[in-house]
Amino acid sequence: MLRAAFTTKPTEGGRRWRRLFLLLGGVVLLYGLLAPLTSLDALQSAGFPLLADKLWFRIATATAMFVVLASAWNLVGGLTGYAAFGNVAFFGIGAYTCGMLISRAHWPLFLALPLAPLASAAFAALVGVPLLRLRGHYFAVASLGVGVAVGEVIQNVEYRGTPVFGGSTGLFLPIFSVDNRDLVFYFLMVGAAALTIGVTWLVLRSRFGYGLIAIRENEEAAAVMGVNTTAYKVAAFALAAALTGLAGGIFAQWNVFINQENVFPIEYNVQMILMALVGGAGTLFGPLAGAVFLYMLIQFLSGSLPVSLDLPFLPSDARPVLAQVILGLLLLVTVIFVPRGVIDFFGGQSRLSLAYLRRSLRETSV
Amino acid sequence: MAAAQLELRQVTKRFGGVAALDGVSFSVPPGQIFGIIGPNGAGKTTLLNCISGVYRLDGGDVLWQGASIAGRAPHRVAALGIGRTFQVVKPFASMTVRENAAVGALFGSAEAHLPPRQAFERADEVLELVGLAGKAALPVTALTIPDRKRLEVARAVATRPRLLLLDEVMAGLNPVEVDEALEMVRAVHATGVTIVLIEHVMRVIVGVCDRALVLHYGRVLAEGEPRTVLKDRRVIEAYLGERYARQQGG
Ligand SMILES: Nc1ncnc2c1ncn2[C@@H]1O[C@H](COP(=O)(O)OP(=O)(O)OP(=O)(O)O)[C@@H](O)[C@H]1O
Ligand SMILES: [Mg+2]
Repeated sequence: MLRAAFTTKPTEGGRRWRRLFLLLGGVVLLYGLLAPLTSLDALQSAGFPLLADKLWFRIATATAMFVVLASAWNLVGGLTGYAAFGNVAFFGIGAYTCGMLISRAHWPLFLALPLAPLASAAFAALVGVPLLRLRGHYFAVASLGVGVAVGEVIQNVEYRGTPVFGGSTGLFLPIFSVDNRDLVFYFLMVGAAALTIGVTWLVLRSRFGYGLIAIRENEEAAAVMGVNTTAYKVAAFALAAALTGLAGGIFAQWNVFINQENVFPIEYNVQMILMALVGGAGTLFGPLAGAVFLYMLIQFLSGSLPVSLDLPFLPSDARPVLAQVILGLLLLVTVIFVPRGVIDFFGGQSRLSLAYLRRSLRETSV
Repeated sequence: MAAAQLELRQVTKRFGGVAALDGVSFSVPPGQIFGIIGPNGAGKTTLLNCISGVYRLDGGDVLWQGASIAGRAPHRVAALGIGRTFQVVKPFASMTVRENAAVGALFGSAEAHLPPRQAFERADEVLELVGLAGKAALPVTALTIPDRKRLEVARAVATRPRLLLLDEVMAGLNPVEVDEALEMVRAVHATGVTIVLIEHVMRVIVGVCDRALVLHYGRVLAEGEPRTVLKDRRVIEAYLGERYARQQGG
């Protein structure tokens, strides 16, 4: 649907490269999806080699989580064109909803989990009505404010001297006791990611999706053509919030411990946007590609992967800084030279070439 | 005379202290082509914005088939069957020509609201009507200005309006293109749509309009049969300047 504004016929060579990339990506995803299955007891007792260790599970589950965050953001930021900077609020609300229900009310996980997206969506609908009246920078700043405020409120709310939501200590959830726990949470998060992509796929094909893109392209024209712009924007915001909240809910039980720092991290806001932009905002698979690529890159740069770069002249505490610098540069280059994201090269429309970069530069500069 | 489909009563709109519209009243019976002319800044576009719900009125009332629609949100006005174009075209830039038109059929008047598959069929019909059928698959960014104006009309027609408000869809076109655009307006009108059209080109007003209204500084200067209105001395003065009126010895 979001066809490239300029199209180049791919050459035979270009097509071969693209096929190779798609094949490689497919193999990686398939491996990622199936390797965890080797940890099943049945396969282990049959002497099957373990293809995924604990660290791998952690990284893969977190990657799927960021696929949810980036793809859900895409519904608002990519399709509707409203740069939401506070989506982490929905993640945190989902996490705390699940956390409170499980740790305080002793609900089972699978009863508590559906309420996480509901709570996040309800909150988004509530703040969305006033927020989405704002345009451009005003919306971005206001949504950031909401993102920060919610975490503060949740940490600091007290009733008769005792913190309602665990205060700065946070919340501890009972460990979810089940065989192959890592596998369960991995597939829960992958399921949430698949759901998010599936929802996006449906939206892109529907009246709703066309309405959202019309709003992004020209809100006034959309309105006089009959699009209920307020309702559509709020619905997109709430839908994104629901999916983000679901990821938060899963995270709470997965991580067992939640506090303001781990479920309301401000940097998630920037990271999910970066992932969607680098991959291709407004597209179906762009945010997925961006999330997988950037999450791996962030982990690699900060030294959390088994493979890492060892630079003798780089003190270890400088690593996170280096990671930030590289991320920043990457964003800069993407926004200027690949404004439609790297996914643009895989749609059969455009080919990475000097001419492409030059045209992009012309497009993105005044 | 048939009952009015659209009626404006003392419509007033101010920007700061300046009244862009100052007590404008007129009515349009169903099936008419109603022309609105007036010098730059007369308030023509503001008038369309007041009818289509883009602006809130500061006074007066807008009636659709006898019922007030003043203060309704634009999408609710569109749902009644009132479509419009923009003087400065506002295409959905990332979409193809066909997708642009389809949005009109997906939303628009209550009768439109087609499911996606039918909406695209309707889009194809409409593109045929305005002469863009051959360019349906192009991105809008590849269209020339006259074609973009056609697309603006196509999107509005795709909403299945009963009343279509056209804001200078022929401005900037050469004589041949104006003739084509006139054909397009006649073709749309022939499908049973009432048309209110803002235009600077006199030939258009005289050529297709049943009635014409002249706006000047936000007030109605004259209204009536197009040829008669255009001969009105006050109109000539307002439009072409006092000097021209004297030269004509009017
Ligand atoms: N949004 C706005 N804010 C402030 N002033 C406005 C606004 N829109 C229109 N005006 C003013 O109202 C007056 C009427 O403008 P309008 O655009 O309706 O004129 P017009 O008859 O359509 O002119 P043109 O032939 O140039 O299109 C002008 O003086 C204009 O400057
Ligand atoms: Mg105007």
